[in-house]
Amino acid sequence: MTPTSAKHPLIVEGLTKRYGRRTVVDGLTFRVEPGRITGFLGPNGSGKSTTMKVLLDLAAADHGTATIGGCRYRDLPDPAGTVGVVLEPNAFHPGRSGRNHLRIIAQATGQPTARVDETLATAGLDPEPARRRVGTYSLGMKQRLSLAAALLGDPPVLVLDEPANGLDPQGIRDLRDLLRARAARGHTVLVSSHLLAEVQHLVDDVVVINQGRLVTSGTIEDLTGSTAQVRTPSPGRLADLLGAAGATVRNSGADALVVTGLRLDQIGDTAHAAGVAIHELSPHADSLEDVFLAITTPTPQEGTQS
Amino acid sequence: MTSINHVRSELRKLTTTRMPLAFLAVLGVLAVINGVAVAAGTDMDGSKTFISTATDQQSLMAFAANALTIAGLFGAIAAAREFGNNTVIATYLSAPRRSRAVVAQLTAIGLGGAIIGLVGTSLTAVAVAASLPFTAYGFMVSAGGVAQIIAASALAGASGAVLGAVIGLLVRNTGGAVTGTVVTLIIAPPVIVQLSNSTAPWFPNALANVVSGVADTSSVPAAIAALALWALLPTLLALWAVQRRDVV
Repeated sequence: MTPTSAKHPLIVEGLTKRYGRRTVVDGLTFRVEPGRITGFLGPNGSGKSTTMKVLLDLAAADHGTATIGGCRYRDLPDPAGTVGVVLEPNAFHPGRSGRNHLRIIAQATGQPTARVDETLATAGLDPEPARRRVGTYSLGMKQRLSLAAALLGDPPVLVLDEPANGLDPQGIRDLRDLLRARAARGHTVLVSSHLLAEVQHLVDDVVVINQGRLVTSGTIEDLTGSTAQVRTPSPGRLADLLGAAGATVRNSGADALVVTGLRLDQIGDTAHAAGVAIHELSPHADSLEDVFLAITTPTPQEGTQS
Repeated sequence: MTSINHVRSELRKLTTTRMPLAFLAVLGVLAVINGVAVAAGTDMDGSKTFISTATDQQSLMAFAANALTIAGLFGAIAAAREFGNNTVIATYLSAPRRSRAVVAQLTAIGLGGAIIGLVGTSLTAVAVAASLPFTAYGFMVSAGGVAQIIAASALAGASGAVLGAVIGLLVRNTGGAVTGTVVTLIIAPPVIVQLSNSTAPWFPNALANVVSGVADTSSVPAAIAALALWALLPTLLALWAVQRRDVV
């Protein structure tokens, strides 16, 4: 199977990955569209990196598929020229220069040596430090070197695991501009990050997973704008009703709830049908961090179950 | 992306760190020790009969068994450190059909091992030749004999390096790979020979000595073939293993 167009959506379908008895990714399904930057979010150990490794054929799935433009990574005609990858923050030999690290990858992937200097410049790594041993680099310089390696083949797909980790503010801005420019060219960009404030300003779409399962996916506007603030004299009862209707509910004071996953009219109708009084029902724009914590923090019941 | 690109990339990996210099230094030290032994050493009876014939001198210069062990350690470190440094990720991203990456890596490391053998023997021969004028004996080994020990060292070095690299690929830990190589090449053979004496001619060190022309426990063609098998069979094992395991 070969890609039918230059567009390369990433499609994960029913993906399950186990290490021994531990299920790290559990029936995960989502899609990453070309021309958009997608944030891949989840707590530590939620399965983000494992999903990326399966997508890149570095690990085998137990069930399900993860494809790039309809192909497994290994079946792409030019895998390294199709997908640029930042996966581990420190995947370098400390005794080798940054430039030589890139030359090795360029040679293996058939890229001209001139691309090494071009991508070093694009990633903001100056020629002088690029000739120094990587063992002398700061974390930010290593991230820039990783990014340069990912860009060597000028790939239409970028899969980046924590690319902003260790970057200074200028580096983060450069990264943001770079990724936006790539997405504007129709490229597919998947970025995992813990820097949620930064992600909120960077991504168009988000995929949130927890304990290997999909929690939610959609546009960033949908996720951060789909919450509602409710004040009621019966917060416990209303929380149960809304939870049964599929909403995620958290307390926001003695008589207030923040509700995610239902529209305002659905919340009002649910309360009305149950005869629960409502003193306030208003849209509530959360930060991504608030939403992330609300949907990935286990409830007391979940906590005792685990 | 051709296989030759991958081999050249793997060769660049080997030549862009200080590891080759460390191994070159080891070869130099061994050559100096040999030279000093020739100039100043004696047999138990105080004579220098250990350099008194062409056969003795060829035996002294035969570096193949050393090349086997040193190149084995070289291969083990070169392959295992890829996992320790996570550079294996870039390797398999550029060659997701993993067999291609493994063959390229083992080819490059095998070449490195052959060079270790060549350089080691050459330095040893030069050191011995330079020390003989300080004794009553001249250099007696024929050109053919020198060529044989150099070729034997190159073959043994290549075989040992590939064997060590496979251990590195399987163990994926530098300390474990070095230990495994030492056990495989140095510790296990005499133990196994104690259990089955007939196996003695077929261990790498014995084969290296046969190919060098300083032992006759098997024929030279058989020894060459067996030494090649000591690289080939582990290579097949590595190809099987890397296809079945997650990279990271």
